[in-house]
Parts: sequence; structure tokens; C-alpha cells
Amino acid sequence: MYCVRNVTDDLIWIGGNDRQHPIFEAAHPVPRGVSYNSYLLLDEKTVLFDTVDRAIQTQFFENLDHALDGRKLDYIFVHHMEPDHAATLGDLMLRHPEARVVCNGKAINMIRQFHAADPKNAILVGDGDTLSTGRHNFTFVSAPMVHWPEVVVSYDSTDKILFSADAFGTFGALNGILFADEVDWERDWLDEYRRYYTNIVGKYGPQVSALLGKAAGLDIQTVCPLHGPVWRKDFSKIVARYAKWAAYEPEVQGVVIPFASIYGGTETAANILACRLAELGVPVQMHDVSVTHYSYALADCFKYSHIVFAAPTYNNGLFDPMEHLLRDLVHHNLQNRKAALIQNGSWAPASGKIMAGLLEQMKDIELLAPVFTLKSTLSPGQEKELEELAQAIAASVKGSAAPAAREQAAKKPKGFVCKICGFIYESDTLPEDYICPICHRPASDFAPLE
Amino acid sequence: MKYICDLCGFVYDEAEQGPMPDDYVCPLCGVDKSHFEPAD
Repeated sequence: MYCVRNVTDDLIWIGGNDRQHPIFEAAHPVPRGVSYNSYLLLDEKTVLFDTVDRAIQTQFFENLDHALDGRKLDYIFVHHMEPDHAATLGDLMLRHPEARVVCNGKAINMIRQFHAADPKNAILVGDGDTLSTGRHNFTFVSAPMVHWPEVVVSYDSTDKILFSADAFGTFGALNGILFADEVDWERDWLDEYRRYYTNIVGKYGPQVSALLGKAAGLDIQTVCPLHGPVWRKDFSKIVARYAKWAAYEPEVQGVVIPFASIYGGTETAANILACRLAELGVPVQMHDVSVTHYSYALADCFKYSHIVFAAPTYNNGLFDPMEHLLRDLVHHNLQNRKAALIQNGSWAPASGKIMAGLLEQMKDIELLAPVFTLKSTLSPGQEKELEELAQAIAASVKGSAAPAAREQAAKKPKGFVCKICGFIYESDTLPEDYICPICHRPASDFAPLE
Repeated sequence: MKYICDLCGFVYDEAEQGPMPDDYVCPLCGVDKSHFEPAD
């Protein structure tokens, strides 16, 4: 039995939901399931926009048969060859040999690789090429490495619809809804959009920025992604999030503490630090990386401006769940964050040095303090050191220099102070193109120190 | 001389990076040197 919804009068969502497979891409938990979106346009020619994962192929083919209602399938637009969208393409070509595949040369190669099939009469399209299906006119726009090299998006200039491939998608089954304006998006969906983006696409920020730049030149009324709700209102709010994520800019001035703890000593230190930060009015989040899947911790490392990694030593190295998270952050190109480290080791603490080494592989990660070390558990008096660490982090979160830095600045009055946040640039001259590293205001917002 | 990756479009600029090593792999998509062709 079919299960479809109309996007517009002549565009039908014929995708489906998979709630039975707990892991997406053999890596990411999807406790809310995931949708695989496919769309059918009923113009003078019929157009299928991508297929679906094998998990829901029965539903998909029933939906397609219903929506076609006896018409022949003219075109299959292939935006992305990853099998969660293209696994069913091989079967589709057998069922609809009359349909012409529309894709680029890289996708053709992948069709051969994945399906041992050569699409007959394929129409190869490049960046900027157009195709008319009757009332609708499509333009193809290359989006390489968002997040595979063959990815294209297509734009229907008639109804102002962007078929955006994996961009603007999310984890989470569509439980009856189809449009983002049918849900409380910030409350119920934003976190899963962030987890999807950061884990799946996060490495390719510059390429996503390039796509956002191309999209900014189009009049977009509706966005049809390959996962998650369709956007027909308020598209700017997801674009604003994407702009931050792609630029590796934090959304929240606050602290996330990913920690690992074998017998509780490290966790207690992390808990105390979190308490002091909260008392100082700093937003704080914690993840036990041995328990919470790293995809959640990674998403919050993109969300927050400050990260405190706390982990024990194990086999003279770094405890594996934390090493996994940090390597994943390196792979995902996380950058531009302030950080602090807490290490634990009962006889030879080594985790701090390894964590610092992994952070060095990322761009623009600033350590706010020397590694905080505990041996087995916090020793008497160390809670005061933790409080000082909390104060230093809080001062940084709030955009002011740490007390020690301020004292140092007071001794060296030469320089310029940012009138917005108080940051002091120590030099006799201030470059004209200088940007405040704390609040990003231009040189014109600086005043000479008196 | 500039070279462009035929898969993802990454550009390698000899003027900045020197001659491309034989074991060079594209830092963006990971393919080997054979995928680079002279950029127009």
C-alpha cells in the first residue's frame, strides 16, 4: 500500500522511513529512525528525484507505482550516489528501462561500480546545464564534496524549488509530517540536524560554504532534501545554522565537557568543574564518552565555544573512548575553539600529552591553561585549582581576558584595548585590518591604552 | 602551473607548493596524483 504526500500540486514525496535499523551508515545511532526522501514530478515529462535505501525499497516501489498512475517514467535525476539514496537505482533501471538517467560523469562511474550496470541513453549534465520537462525548467549546480565528489543539486526555476541532496537534511523519521513548519523545529529537531550535519558533512565546511554562496543567488521557496523535512517556510533559519557550522563558528558561548572515567576519579573532577562553571553563569554540557555515542559529543563540540576534555591514562596511553572522539574531531576538521585538558593517571599520567597532541592536529585550538592532573582522585586542595580553572574558562567564555592576563596587561600599558570586549593588543601600532580575536570587531573599535 | 583534481576540484598550485610529489594524494577527496590535470 502506498504512503505519499504532496509537496506541491505536481510534486509528490514518495520516500519512506526506516525505524528498524538502529545504526545509520554503520556508525551513527538513529534512535528516532531516518527518512529516505524521493520525489516524483508529474510534468509533461515525469521526473524521479533520487531513490532510497534498500531498507525501504518495497514501500518506495509501491509509492512510485501509485504516483506514476500508469504513466511512464521519463527521467531519473541522480543527485548523489551514496547507497542510502541510490541502492534502489539498479532495480529501478530494470523496472523502468524507458527512463533516462540524468547525472554527471562522476555519478555514471559510480553507477557502474555500485550496480554493474551501464545506464543506456544517460543525459550527462555539468554545472549550469539546464533541462526542461514541460512547465518546469531545471538548472544543475555542482556541489562537490557536499559530501561526495559527484554531488549535484538541481533548481526548478518555475516553482523555485531546490533539490538539495544531503544538504539541509537530518536524522529522524518523518512521523506523518513532511514540512519543517509542521514541527517545533528548534525544540524537537535542531539537535538532530546538528548531529547529522557535523558527523556526515562536518569535514567539508569550505565546500558547504561554497554551496551556500551559490544558493544565495537563487530565489528559493522550497527545499527538498534527501533526509528529513521539506522546507517551504523560514529556510533562512537552517541556512543561518549551516553558515555557522560550515565556518566552524560556535553557536553557544559555553562549555562542553566530554569526559571518560574508569573508576570515578576523573568524573568527579569533571562534575566539580561543571558545578563551578554553572555557578559562574556559564552554559555547560557534559558527555560520558564511554556511554554516550561519540556522534553526540562531536555535535556539541561544534555547538559550544569551549571544550574541556577529561580522560584517564590507560595502557600508558589515552583511554580509548576519548581517543576515538578526539580522532573523530580531527577527521571532521573541527577548529577555532578554546580548550582545557584534565588528565588522570595513578602512577604515570600520560593522557594529557596525547590529548594535547591530537588537538595540535586541529586548526586554531587554544589551550587556556596547563593540563590539570589528578592521580587516581583529586587530592585535598585540588578543588581550589579546579575553581581557578573554572574562573579562567568563564572569563574566556564571557569574552574578557583572564585575571592573570589583565594583571600582566596592567604592567605593560603599551597597546590598544577593544572597546567592545576589553581585549588588549600589545604593540605600539595597530594594523588597520586588525580584527579582535575575542569579539571579531574591527580595528576601529580599539582605543589606545591610557 | 596549477593542477586541478578531476574528482573534487581541489587546486594544487606549484608556485606555492613546489613540484607535486609522486605520492601526492588530494587533501580534499583522497585520490592519487593521476587524477590531477593542468588547470586552464
